[in-house]
Amino acid sequence: MILRRPEGLGPGEVRSRQRARRQLAYLITAGAVGGVIGLITGAFDEGDGNLFAGNWAALALDPAVAILVAVLLAFGFVALPLYGFRTIDELKRAQSLIGFTGGALAVLAGFPIWAVLHAGGLGAAPHPFGVWLLAFVGMGLSYLYALWRH
Amino acid sequence: MKNRLKVLRAERDWSQAELAGRLDVSRQAVNAIETGKHDPSLPLAFRIARLFGLRIEDIFIDDGDTP
Repeated sequence: MILRRPEGLGPGEVRSRQRARRQLAYLITAGAVGGVIGLITGAFDEGDGNLFAGNWAALALDPAVAILVAVLLAFGFVALPLYGFRTIDELKRAQSLIGFTGGALAVLAGFPIWAVLHAGGLGAAPHPFGVWLLAFVGMGLSYLYALWRH
Repeated sequence: MKNRLKVLRAERDWSQAELAGRLDVSRQAVNAIETGKHDPSLPLAFRIARLFGLRIEDIFIDDGDTP
């Protein structure tokens, strides 16, 4: 029986295992949502656009597919993190806040730096996906720093 | 801030996971508190004190290293 307490485990250890299982389920769900988004956009992309190249005008999706992907993105980037914030403990919340702060600072500082460098003839003009990547990478690196510090 | 959490846990023969479950936090949080890398919030400090039947100042020692 999966619900029966394993032999030799105290009540605290049982709850710790439940917490670990919930976290694993959360990660699997997040990964599955990301995989479905990638699968759908890969299978139904009708244009020659590329997020990394920045040629947005060439991106093309059927409106219904676009709405579906938008809903999945909102679930993956809003609903899941908010749910996660409600369930994690104070240490992980502190680490997440450091991560989000790093992401915000990366954009706040990164975009104007990128823009002035471009104005000086150094590098391409800032584009939306690049700015999004700044936030994402800044957040990830800051979160890793927080994990290492704790 | 120093603390006696590891000693108190050892006295009861609890693992970090056991203590974490009783406090409703992750095992990583218990480890971070024990090693002094994370100072618990006041509500968590009260939960810890209640669990061990002690006062907060009996568990956490202010070493004057506050900003």
